[in-house]
Amino acid sequence: MKLLKIFILYLSLSVGLAQAVLEVTVVKKDENSFPIVVSQFELVGQGSQDRDISSIIQANLERSGRFDVVIPETLIDQNVDANYWKQRNIEAVVTGIIEQQSKKIYKLTVSLFDVYSNKQLFTRSTRVHVSGFRKVAHQLSDHIYEALLGESGSFNTLLTYVTVSVDDNGQRYYRLNISDSDAMNVKSRIKLTTPILSPVWSPDGKYEHKKIAYVSFENGQSEVFIWYPYTRRKIEKLPRFDGIASAPSWHPNGKSLVLTLSKDGNKDIYSYSLEDKKLSRLTHNPSIDTEASYSPDGKRLVFTSNRSGQVQVYIKNLDTGKIKRATFEGRYNAKAVFSPDGKSLALVHRVDNDYRIALLDIKTKDLTMMTHNELDESPYFSPNGDMIIFSTNRNNKGLLSVVSVEGNRSYELSSVEGEVREPNWSTYLEK
Amino acid sequence: MNKIIGLPVVALLGACTGNGGVMDSNTNTVQVEEKSQLEKTFDAIVQDDSNFNWQDLVGSSSQNTQAAIAPNAKEKAIAKLKASDTNFVLYFDYDGSDINEAGTQEIIKHANFMRENPNIKLRLEGHADERGTREYNLALGENRALSVKEVLGLYEGLEGRIKVVSFGEEKPIATAHDEASWQQNRRVEFIYE
Repeated sequence: MKLLKIFILYLSLSVGLAQAVLEVTVVKKDENSFPIVVSQFELVGQGSQDRDISSIIQANLERSGRFDVVIPETLIDQNVDANYWKQRNIEAVVTGIIEQQSKKIYKLTVSLFDVYSNKQLFTRSTRVHVSGFRKVAHQLSDHIYEALLGESGSFNTLLTYVTVSVDDNGQRYYRLNISDSDAMNVKSRIKLTTPILSPVWSPDGKYEHKKIAYVSFENGQSEVFIWYPYTRRKIEKLPRFDGIASAPSWHPNGKSLVLTLSKDGNKDIYSYSLEDKKLSRLTHNPSIDTEASYSPDGKRLVFTSNRSGQVQVYIKNLDTGKIKRATFEGRYNAKAVFSPDGKSLALVHRVDNDYRIALLDIKTKDLTMMTHNELDESPYFSPNGDMIIFSTNRNNKGLLSVVSVEGNRSYELSSVEGEVREPNWSTYLEK
Repeated sequence: MNKIIGLPVVALLGACTGNGGVMDSNTNTVQVEEKSQLEKTFDAIVQDDSNFNWQDLVGSSSQNTQAAIAPNAKEKAIAKLKASDTNFVLYFDYDGSDINEAGTQEIIKHANFMRENPNIKLRLEGHADERGTREYNLALGENRALSVKEVLGLYEGLEGRIKVVSFGEEKPIATAHDEASWQQNRRVEFIYE
């Protein structure tokens, strides 16, 4: 296949399709959230514009649940009055200057001031093309988060999800969407009247390498496709197999994926290499084996199986080939994914008649309930491991919920016009 | 401490598609290629019931291959079966794909119908209720349809005329979140083509 040198970054601020835009609602914040002031940025020179950089940072920090963001009515310049903010119990102040240098190029200077030490923690200066404002705003949010909390943020990352809407004639439409981590900058791939399932970002860091594997029924049965959202490359369909092809998930190297095929009669897990187009079988069991997902180091594979007569989660060690059962609590555990540190699993756990998201410590086997809903599905970790995104159902409507692993913070992403489901969070983008 | 760190210049490439970056047109639909050598190789590896030709069943290509039977005769035969007391939907227990005695009796009626109408093909569509994960339910739906196919396959000449597909929990009949709805959704549909 011809590799295209030209790739396109869809970074415009204009909103994509009405149905796909999600509403963000912060539900729960940390009781000891960090009080911070994020000022509007100072505009220097004619034609300069903030272009929402400061408001993207404000929304990012607020949504994480770890900050109490105060937005001052008047602009604060870089000479921060520490005593003034100390009296108001503010611990840090973000200020910025935007200066137009040419038609589309701006010089951006952003500072983070620590009120108690009366010191600037950092000042960053960069030249930005107007199309890169959103990305810079997310990068700056990550810098501020890390400088103040000592942990990585997950702002400069991407989401993918499926939205479902019904028109006046009762016709259902499914869309596959991508967005920034703040659910803005939405791009929708396709509107189908047949279901779309299981979109998953490849772990590649560069935009032009990023791809999404997903399942579509557009040809009358479940098949796996690969979408290259940032290149002109056409959507690729994996070779056709008899029976089900579904549940794709990427190897950490981005060059192969695992998927479920029923071509040999059983539903088993196979690995498919995009490079040499070879298929290799990873499970051999007459029961259902599906929903496979690699550990971050690629050495283990977690999957769902009903081989014990119940639906449970298993881990295959890919070095030794040994398969071990991972879940023992309850009669239904499924769709597990590894945390970024490889130590725990987020999964769907049945309690009585409810399906909830739970966190399993792989070593100690401790199972912690993360939610108390009835129909939760599709958990996935944020790239810093701090939060879990999943789909849930409220008032007969599907929405996405994001909960911190400690359970003390959460926010929701809901579609104004329809349902949203099947979330997946990308790894970090290359800086 | 004023540290100046230069961030790289980001994203100098602007969006330059004619449609404003929205990728929602049908021009981006899946590229359906002629069978490549690779796919043929896979087919050779994978096809168990190679006498089954899915192309005979779906889409516009079915018109010319169905010449052996007059369309209205086929429709009449199916309509007659529908008018009889034969069930075109079988229901299943939670997380189950076993067929009970009553279900077997229904399948036998379908088997007899297929033997009487050798040019009619059958698509078995397996479905699941919304509980549990979508991907597991997709697998479960296929197991249900395969259970039905297994019984039909006991009759000579039928297996190769049956196509199995699963839609998992994606095509519910009833959409309420209660057992009455779930029960209706755990099903296999018989669709003659």
